[in-house]
Amino acid sequence: MLIHLPIAQIAVDPLILIAIGGLVGFLSGLFGVGGGFLLTPLLIFYGVPAAVAVSTQANQVLATSIAGVSAHWRERQVDTRLGTLMLMGGLAGSTVGVGVFSLLKYFGVVDATIAVLYIVFLGVIGGLMAWESVGALGGQGGDPGRRTRLRVWMRTLPMKRRFPRSGLYISIIPPICIGFFVGVLAAVLGVGGGFILAPAMVYLLGVPTRVMVGTSLFQIIFLTAYVTFLQATFNGTVDLVLAAVLMLGGVIGARYGAMAGRKLKAAQLRLLLALLVLGIAGRLVYELYVAPVPEYRLEAAS
Amino acid sequence: MSLRLVAFAMLALLTPMASAQRLEGRDRPFMAAGLAEDTVEVKVNYSGSRIVLFATAPQPENETSGMAVALIGPMAPQKMIRRTAAGDQTIEFVAAPLVFAVGAEPQVAASVPLEVMVDAGLNAQASAMPRANQLMSPDLNDWRAAFVNLKMEQGLYSFSDTTIERLDGGLRRAKIHLPINAPPGEYRIRAVSFRNGAPVGESEQVLTLVRSGLDATLFDLSRQHGLIYGFVAVLLGVGVGGIAAWLGRK
Repeated sequence: MLIHLPIAQIAVDPLILIAIGGLVGFLSGLFGVGGGFLLTPLLIFYGVPAAVAVSTQANQVLATSIAGVSAHWRERQVDTRLGTLMLMGGLAGSTVGVGVFSLLKYFGVVDATIAVLYIVFLGVIGGLMAWESVGALGGQGGDPGRRTRLRVWMRTLPMKRRFPRSGLYISIIPPICIGFFVGVLAAVLGVGGGFILAPAMVYLLGVPTRVMVGTSLFQIIFLTAYVTFLQATFNGTVDLVLAAVLMLGGVIGARYGAMAGRKLKAAQLRLLLALLVLGIAGRLVYELYVAPVPEYRLEAAS
Repeated sequence: MSLRLVAFAMLALLTPMASAQRLEGRDRPFMAAGLAEDTVEVKVNYSGSRIVLFATAPQPENETSGMAVALIGPMAPQKMIRRTAAGDQTIEFVAAPLVFAVGAEPQVAASVPLEVMVDAGLNAQASAMPRANQLMSPDLNDWRAAFVNLKMEQGLYSFSDTTIERLDGGLRRAKIHLPINAPPGEYRIRAVSFRNGAPVGESEQVLTLVRSGLDATLFDLSRQHGLIYGFVAVLLGVGVGGIAAWLGRK
């Protein structure tokens, strides 16, 4: 059976879309990332136009994040105070990031900058996480040590607040700065930024891995709702039929992802996330430097 | 037999209409032809369509006689970019069909020269019209060939999915595949009859592809009431996520 997508204007097999949504939802529930960085290329690979894939994935991620965060919420593993601070930084960063994007576009270096930024961040973050988590697996397999040199330096910063859910007493400046930085990158790279935010929370702020997952999803809810609204209102590229089918698989996958996450050690969880991030970096390197680039391309003229 | 009677009856009814749609300025004789349906509705369960055209041979036939048909439309401006070592180059086709499907009987393909097919409006490459200042470009044929290739990759141009069957009494039935991603709009179905490598009759019908049902409602909402569509999109995400969270607690 096929269904016709009104905005994408293609016919698709709903069972395949449910499977794609379920896979991404599972990873979302497991790692606390939105999954847009995985969902968008999967949809494009399936034949959905790029503009529709980018916009609609945000709508699907919104639903899976709500479903995923509810499980963490009941277990009191969502630090809303920390999440709100990072969200504030993220919204400000996104606004600045849009300006940075325009500047890069003006100077004609947007594609090259995005490609390099993507590979550098994914490679460095994934590599460091894999290195640390493999080491941690040799020990207890828990969270990384809380008394690193960087965190000692951060403890000297003013405006300290307690974050009971995360068991932290830290300045509000680092969470806002991290949110801001991720917001800038999210706007420039066109992703939610969960794959950068999640390790930053664990390694820079010292948030326990399990609280990080719920808190990251909490922030993604607001970010994706904002993006969905803007894309649907101003670009009209959100396909509600596509989103609804993806959501069906996504929310089921997110539940099972959250359940699977509880059965893994924190270090195992981080290692799997690191491998996922490195895999995406590898794919990007392949696409940029190995895969043949088509000589011609077609665009709709105004 | 009853199918043929219906087809002949349809042709008789459609002849005056088709005659009115004939291109002006052409001196080829009219060929009687008619579509089985002139409107196709695109609903959520739409998965492509097959357009059926009946046509009769306008002249006594010999071994070179045959027919070619093409589905062409809707016309829209399109831009192509070519990546070169010196940077990107661009060409803009001010009017090019978004969909082009053509098919011909074997004897037509063997006996009709390319320029005759172009003149008959049955050549996909020639259907892409560049800006006036790019008409004399030495690369125009390369651009057009690349354009057709890209469209074929998208499944919008096809040269092998159209079949033409011969029925009794010079009647022919053409089945043209309308792709699933064909955009709504007005399409032309051209049928040209050839004899000894030259056209001896032609006909042009209009087919309309329209959205309908939920498909049309959502598309219109997204284009005409973006703000409402934005709220609906967010509500859908929150609603589905909320229901899933609620079910998860059960």
